[in-house]
Amino acid sequence: MDGSRNIKKYKFFFLDIQKEEKWILSIIRQGYRLASVRTGTGRYDFVPCHFMDFEPVIKIDFRTFRKSDEFENYIALFEDSGWNHVSGTKTGGAQYFEKARATASEDIFSDKASRAERYKRIANMWLGLFCVYLPLSAVFSKNGLYNFNTFINWKELYLTPGLWEMTGIRFWRAFLFETPFAFGRGFSGFLFFLIVIFYVFFGIKALYWYYKEKK
Amino acid sequence: MNLDKYLPLTETTYYILIALIEPGHGYYIMQKVEELSSGKVRIAAGTMYGAIDNLLKQGLIQSVPGEDKRRKVYQISKEGRKVLELEISRLRNLVKIADNNELKGAN
Repeated sequence: MDGSRNIKKYKFFFLDIQKEEKWILSIIRQGYRLASVRTGTGRYDFVPCHFMDFEPVIKIDFRTFRKSDEFENYIALFEDSGWNHVSGTKTGGAQYFEKARATASEDIFSDKASRAERYKRIANMWLGLFCVYLPLSAVFSKNGLYNFNTFINWKELYLTPGLWEMTGIRFWRAFLFETPFAFGRGFSGFLFFLIVIFYVFFGIKALYWYYKEKK
Repeated sequence: MNLDKYLPLTETTYYILIALIEPGHGYYIMQKVEELSSGKVRIAAGTMYGAIDNLLKQGLIQSVPGEDKRRKVYQISKEGRKVLELEISRLRNLVKIADNNELKGAN
């Protein structure tokens, strides 16, 4: 990296906003500016940065909006006070701001409480998703989607007639062909359950950060 | 409505309510608060937005029609004024107690 070409990096931070801000800053200090972030794939795009008389710090807020004009109003407030919106969508949550004036404040938060509130909003999002999907997974369970016997009788998930009597290349071809379908048949319920568990895990982790930062 | 539950006000909330006696958008409030406090209280954008959001939910300020499409304009509400008056009389009372006791003229 010599600060003359665009670079892209992939990284996930799993809710640790401070670590993310520090990492972004470490790239910026090598002569770059943050151009965009795609939180879904963890992709960060940086462009070379020259001729700036101050460090273009990145700070991250977390907020979702119902209406576009409220999102605009939010961005306008930051712009007015010297922070440009670099990346983030109306409903995506993570909002990245770049310091655009040397005279702008050091941070986008001026007290501990509001800095911690970010984590509360993150927790609300994950726990909200959890509350939506939990009843669904209960319905799945009632319909027998979580049948632990499938782990033992996994052979029954394969429906090709006479599959287990086949030999050699013929067997492997039929076996490998059906494996994705068999997996879907047997374990999609468990996969769904796993996702729901992730939601509650992220929610609780964000709450933990909230109380830790508030102190 | 029981307005006492909002008391005591945080310094930030107090300044914002005072600033919004005159209608203004978010950045106006930030500048006004800095001016009112002689530069001592500087509210950053993220904190300011959160504070406005909370005050709107509590009904202590309200959104009023403005000329700028991108920037919403706010003003203190009736309840907000009442809360501010309650807080001011609370603070007056506290100062009076100090004045009536040894602390009078201590500095």
